[in-house]
Amino acid sequence: MNQIRKSLKTFVRIFALCGLSAILVTLITGYAAGLEVTQGPGDNRTGYESADYESRSISLLQRTGKAADLLHVLQSPPLGLPPVPVPRDNPVTQAKVQLGRKLFFDRRLSLNETMSCGMCHIPEQGFTNNELATSVGIEGRTVRRNAPTIYNVAYFSNIFHDGRETRLEYQVWQPMLAFNEMANPSIGYVVEKIRRLPDYTRLFETAFGGRGPGIETIGMAIAAYERTLVSGNSPFDHWHFGKDAAALSESAKLGFRLFRGKAGCAACHTIGDETALFTDDAFHNTGLGWQASVGTDPSEVQVQLAPGIKVPVPRNVINSVGERPPSDLGRYEVTQDPTDRWRYKTPVLRNVALTAPYMHNGAFGTLREVVEFYNRGGVTNPLLDPLIRPLGLTKSEMEHIVAFLESLTGDNVETLVRDAFAAPIGDRR
Amino acid sequence: MDAFRKTPCITAILIVSVILGSAAFSAWANETGLPPDMVKITGQEDFVYVWTLGEEGIGDEQDKLVAVGVNPDSPHYGQVVHSVSVGGRNEAHHMGFTFDRRYLWCATLDTSKIFVFDIHSDPARPRLVKTISDFVAQSGGVVGPHTIMPMKDRMLITGLSNNRDHGGRSALVEYTADGKYVATYWMPTDDNLQGAAKTGKYADGYNYDVRAMPRLDVMFTSSFTGWSNYMMDFGKMLKDEQAMKRFGNTFVVWRLSERKPLKIFDIPGAPLEIRCAINPAHDFAFTIAALTSKIWLVYRDKQGEWQAKEVADIGDPATVPLPPAFTISSDDRLLWATAFLEGKVRAFDISDPFHPSQVYEKQIGSQVNMVSSSWDSKRLYFTSSLLSEWDKKGSENEQFIKSFEWDGSELKERFVIDFTRAKLGRPHEMKFGAYALYKP
Repeated sequence: MNQIRKSLKTFVRIFALCGLSAILVTLITGYAAGLEVTQGPGDNRTGYESADYESRSISLLQRTGKAADLLHVLQSPPLGLPPVPVPRDNPVTQAKVQLGRKLFFDRRLSLNETMSCGMCHIPEQGFTNNELATSVGIEGRTVRRNAPTIYNVAYFSNIFHDGRETRLEYQVWQPMLAFNEMANPSIGYVVEKIRRLPDYTRLFETAFGGRGPGIETIGMAIAAYERTLVSGNSPFDHWHFGKDAAALSESAKLGFRLFRGKAGCAACHTIGDETALFTDDAFHNTGLGWQASVGTDPSEVQVQLAPGIKVPVPRNVINSVGERPPSDLGRYEVTQDPTDRWRYKTPVLRNVALTAPYMHNGAFGTLREVVEFYNRGGVTNPLLDPLIRPLGLTKSEMEHIVAFLESLTGDNVETLVRDAFAAPIGDRR
Repeated sequence: MDAFRKTPCITAILIVSVILGSAAFSAWANETGLPPDMVKITGQEDFVYVWTLGEEGIGDEQDKLVAVGVNPDSPHYGQVVHSVSVGGRNEAHHMGFTFDRRYLWCATLDTSKIFVFDIHSDPARPRLVKTISDFVAQSGGVVGPHTIMPMKDRMLITGLSNNRDHGGRSALVEYTADGKYVATYWMPTDDNLQGAAKTGKYADGYNYDVRAMPRLDVMFTSSFTGWSNYMMDFGKMLKDEQAMKRFGNTFVVWRLSERKPLKIFDIPGAPLEIRCAINPAHDFAFTIAALTSKIWLVYRDKQGEWQAKEVADIGDPATVPLPPAFTISSDDRLLWATAFLEGKVRAFDISDPFHPSQVYEKQIGSQVNMVSSSWDSKRLYFTSSLLSEWDKKGSENEQFIKSFEWDGSELKERFVIDFTRAKLGRPHEMKFGAYALYKP
């Protein structure tokens, strides 16, 4: 009998352990699956260049939402970030944020009802588009530049790659009216369209004390939502500002030293004593814009046809099916100062691991390619920023810098992305 | 109009429906693809309906359904007899008849609208009777309705994209024949294979064409790319390394009656159109991978299992001929495949489907896309437009429908309509119409 009891106890223990293990495995895989859904395209194409590529596609139905208290996010800036500047004439309220979020993901706000802000600033793709070097607008029209992330956009007064806009409230209207983005024919057209949509009436009145849709309220609502997308408290912040020595890998720590030292990255991607935005909010010429404008095109382009299959396609074939690429002169287009030609704004590096492809034209698919570009000293041209020069970094040093950049992912990405998933996508009914 | 009505028409044969359980059957892009249990035109067609993309700077710039007279006995042979503009540029693409062939559903890849035309009241003058404009909302976010496959009282529609990221993950959407939404069937993905066997490395969830073999209770789907790519300037896309990674590499075999995926095959490089063998003794279908320029055979082996095998190249794949469309003859002996970038059509002898061999080649234009064949394989029609932003630019942007006669050894041109000169736009898919179909 004792023997039987013993066996039973052992069985129960093993069973309990197995159960615990199963729960742990479920939790771990569930967490990993959660990250895959919220931190990257559900159609993951990592390694597509290789014949060994295996798809890791996730059902769109896993894109489930959970509304968050975004006002709390805004009012409690995470470790590493300063208080969020909020204009006096547009205090952020829960009602405005809710309304702004709905507008942000409403495809009906474009002329033919196919484009919303969220079609280029895709939540799980770092609020940018990981699948395109440069954006595609209404009817497939070409947009010249890479969609910038809107994480932490609240902190900046130079908006767009060329800094042509000064406030989020104003910025909102540019893509809505741009011929090659959402293509609405006029401000009045947008206002009247929203006014006629019954699902908006109460939301505007609640958010703006009885005021309906208008040039001001539409901009204020979307800006209010965008201001809440604050993301910090990254492993780097824990280590650097929180003094938690264990929060960062040794490689990332080495990378940080290189970032501030030998590589000189911090000259533009600035770091303060108590907070870090990783940008000087200024404009620099790296040579990429110059190369696109006045450089010589290669005679052929390597084109990926399928996993592991890449072929050279002659330039004349590319040109036969392609429009002439639009000109892009950078900051010069705003200032008309010739010295500003091909200068673009220093991007914020927070959540940079989530916001590929990189640079104003999406030229690089990985952080490693970006670091290699700067290690080469950018592209030589008469207006090259003097801060950009060959760095002499070794391969392992570049790996350390990449490890550091990957440590800048905020701890609330899952929360912000799930919140965005909870927003209704506006489509014609 | 009377002249049309008096024109001697073809013999139309209505073959009694054979229903396999709940599975009905489908109608294809051109007459030779029609299943045996659907009304079809076995002789001379009277009209080719051309779903035409509006083009900025051309005419009224709107998408339109264009009816072209194609009966040599008609005084309007080789002429546009009617045109209906539908409003906007919606990226007109493919069409599908209702099962009774009285209505033509014309789908659009950008706005996802579906325009329904009455083609039976007056086949010479299609009439827009309904517009489905809430396809995306009804389907739960499917964007870009493409192939419309009629079943007895249902329409099964492939979607190419979605309203979350404009990428390639999408679904099949089912409607009633009178235009009411029924259900959405998402394509199998790695995390949710829905019971399907993943035979290779990919389960990307992409979608493109749908075809069925009702007698075997199977349905096939292929895979292309999402809105961002198919709407984008082609030259820009070819230079975009990220975008070029976003193409489908899968072909799915489904149980038709249950709309259930059974098997996922790897077919790298965007397998687009699917054509099923017509002979009931032939248990196979073809697809062609557009980017890799390869013909694939999907067949049932001796054990009754479906298999996929690469069987031939189209031109030199290294030069990217880009074959987007093909058709097979009603005797399952010839396969006609166009190559968009080359502007050519090639004929392959597929008597041995495992070893297609090229037997003929002809330059059709500076670019060519769709090919449609008459049931007797004597007439082939070609149109030029692939996608509004993928078509060639400048002087090479020829936009036409061309009619050819096939005498068994040579394609001889019969008529050409220049759609640019006629201020119509970019001609895409073609469907055949005939008075005889609607005679009491």
